[in-house]
Amino acid sequence: MNAPTERPEIDFLAVARALMPAGATTDACVGCGLCASGCPAAGLFGMDPRRFVNMAALGMNEALSTTPWVWACTQCKRCAYVCPMGIDVSLLVGVARGAWPDDEKPKGIVRSCAAQRLDASTSAMGVRSEDFVEIVEETAEELRESDPRFADLRVPMDRKGAMFVVNQNSREPAVEPEEMGPMWKIFDYVGADWTYSSKGWAAENFCMFTGDDAAWKEMVETRVDAINALEPQVWINTECGHSFYTLWKGIERFGLEAKFEAGSLVSYYAQWIREGKLPVNADWNTLGVKFTVQDPCQLVRKSLGDQAAEDLRFVVKTLVGEENFIDMTPSRQANYCCGGGGGFLQAGMNDERRAYGKRKFDQIAATEAAYVLTPCHNCHSQIEDIGGHYHGAYHVTHLWTLICLSLGILGPDERKYLGPELAGINLPEEA
Amino acid sequence: MRRPHRRIETQLTVVGTGIAGFAAALFARARGLDVAQVGHSGALAYTTGYLDLLGVADGRKIADPWAGLDALRMTEPGHPFGRLANADIRAALDAFIGEVNAMGLGYTPAGAANLTALLPYGVTKPTLSLPETMWPGAAALAERAPALIVDFAGLQGFSAAEFAANMAAVWPGLATARLAFPGMESLQVFPEPMARALETRETRAAFVARLRPHLGAVTHVGLPAILGVHRPDTVRAALEAELGVTLFEIPTIPPGVPGIRLRELFERHLPGRGVALEPNLKAAEARLDPSGITLALHGPMEDLDIRAEAVVLATGRFLSGGLRAERSGIRETLFGLPVAQPDGREAWFRPAYFDPRGHPVNRLGLTVDDRFRPLDAAGAPVHPRLHAAGAVLAGQDWARSRSGAGLAIASAWAAVNAAGAELGSSPGDPGPTTAPGAAPAQEPGTA
Repeated sequence: MNAPTERPEIDFLAVARALMPAGATTDACVGCGLCASGCPAAGLFGMDPRRFVNMAALGMNEALSTTPWVWACTQCKRCAYVCPMGIDVSLLVGVARGAWPDDEKPKGIVRSCAAQRLDASTSAMGVRSEDFVEIVEETAEELRESDPRFADLRVPMDRKGAMFVVNQNSREPAVEPEEMGPMWKIFDYVGADWTYSSKGWAAENFCMFTGDDAAWKEMVETRVDAINALEPQVWINTECGHSFYTLWKGIERFGLEAKFEAGSLVSYYAQWIREGKLPVNADWNTLGVKFTVQDPCQLVRKSLGDQAAEDLRFVVKTLVGEENFIDMTPSRQANYCCGGGGGFLQAGMNDERRAYGKRKFDQIAATEAAYVLTPCHNCHSQIEDIGGHYHGAYHVTHLWTLICLSLGILGPDERKYLGPELAGINLPEEA
Repeated sequence: MRRPHRRIETQLTVVGTGIAGFAAALFARARGLDVAQVGHSGALAYTTGYLDLLGVADGRKIADPWAGLDALRMTEPGHPFGRLANADIRAALDAFIGEVNAMGLGYTPAGAANLTALLPYGVTKPTLSLPETMWPGAAALAERAPALIVDFAGLQGFSAAEFAANMAAVWPGLATARLAFPGMESLQVFPEPMARALETRETRAAFVARLRPHLGAVTHVGLPAILGVHRPDTVRAALEAELGVTLFEIPTIPPGVPGIRLRELFERHLPGRGVALEPNLKAAEARLDPSGITLALHGPMEDLDIRAEAVVLATGRFLSGGLRAERSGIRETLFGLPVAQPDGREAWFRPAYFDPRGHPVNRLGLTVDDRFRPLDAAGAPVHPRLHAAGAVLAGQDWARSRSGAGLAIASAWAAVNAAGAELGSSPGDPGPTTAPGAAPAQEPGTA
């Protein structure tokens, strides 16, 4: 990436003063380096969070406006978590990103944002609203035909007054529609009163990652309008991290009116298990297969805090057996970002992204778990990628896969993320 | 979007997540109290990991902290240690060290005398309890054991050559070596990622291969504190088995591993012990009324009210945010409690930075009664069940007297016992608390 030519001059210190929460200022930095020590992006492009803050304090605005490090920082906010002064470098990074000329920003992020703005679907993978409706209906029909237990399964679309509106990451309808089935089966199993929206359904927002606030706002407005129109009580975010943060934060940041609550699918899994509606257990895990969990930064540290981490652990321990769950350290709100967030996966900086991910890989390797469960698509992709790159011996799996596995309703074509030892476990009876 | 509002009710809420705060939460659970704890990263990560009780008196290192405490009560009657008996201080330290050991982090028992512990620049300090990973360093120094000190390319603030040079008079013949840490050859390195990497078999094997050629005839190898974060004693044992020497850690300057170990240990274990822990939320506002104390917290997505019958305030001094220096004076940040302080800013510091008497600003804080309750201007408790512990207390200079951990733990013990007595709980077994999720004893008046 070349040094950009023309861009607005940013006074980072002034930005910091305006953005920092009450009581937190860059002036308060004691230079201890906890942020840099705890940051997987430290050292990439010769930058780290402490250096960024120090350079802001010194007025080195041009250097901060041009360093490509702002695309290697995933804005995970771990620096703010460990800083005694609460200094949040990710806020400065967001402003720096926004000041880059569009044609010099990482193309993958810019293209994904542009794709989202082409259609009311807000899909970064170019799945238009009418495509989504068709793919969902075709996939549901195949599911009804292949599994008599779900012969009456319905996938509601644009059903006004449903209790829940649920979003959907584009990856499934675009490239692996059969992966939508397990979530539908879970909703069917618990009798959830839910619907998709044909507009604004996509659970990704690369516009936030471009640093372009107007584009971020546009995405959130489209989605909030679509959800409001269906009048649900709760908008449930699927197994995805940043799509949750981007919506609630966008609503708050841009002062939008949302007539619904924001909920995480993981918390609903936990609730349904506690209520007995989702009678999952670990009986299937006779081999004692070991599992660990990746806390998505966007869901836990940046949004719901340790309550979400608790729910996630409750679900996973119930599914795999307490004795088969091995937590990473650190975890919960102190967890490391995997390196897939902030658009890093799409930024074309593979060497740096994998260097970043080494710390996550080491954490996973230290658990010696055979599976990583994570309710986040970017985490999923990144952890798979670094597993391949560093020769890890683990698989990465969605929670919906294991829930359906435990219930004996996971079809043979819904097992692509399971390893051979689980491929044949608890298969539904032949139709 | 509706911003959720959550309310929790507790018997005791601990405000602060440093040594004093975590000790208070553990002690309160051991008494069967229903406990919430809130705080943020604070200054815990800056510790060496040593648990000091009293290392320096009148500007001199002391060997017997217990005799030192007896003397301190005579010379500084206003010191918080003056409100505690040695037997209680010992019980507090034993209970805290027992808890930490039970959670899987090895510490040596608090003994009768101070130990001589190592510091990164090749100097020593008196302390009472050491992490098991550091204890062999103190023992090796006492024996003048043949040892190799290792540092790492790209690691700032720790030089083996400097350590050996400064130690030469008391520990002659130290060998030194500089290694490139496996997988971090081209970077500025920090102890924390090195420690995490050593938790994997692969990195341990690569590290052993790099260290082995330097061993020569030494029996001991000293390293900066990098032997894992989560399971340091296991990491050390695994490496010792491969290398055939005794390993010991030397604390590093911040950002160092020993404090991160403690912070993550408590974050990991306290929820399972029944503490409602919010590790990343500062109490924003507080309201006192005759029947209790209400704290307001503001998370990213929700507002949280904590209703407590009693509070232990363990918010530290300036770095942790318990005190704030303003133009007109020094303020306690949460309750606006009276801060015992000199008249005017010009009296905060003496003219000479290294004045052996220290500086008045380092002795200010909250004045408390024998039950560790902050007092108002008239000398009466501000609230019958508001207690304070740790560095926020007035009349002590913990840094200069090398008494930080001991003061934090002992005052937390006293504050919790006083609060517990007021709430009607009986002192429990001061040893390690029970299994995760053990039901707290139900007390009248709790929801």
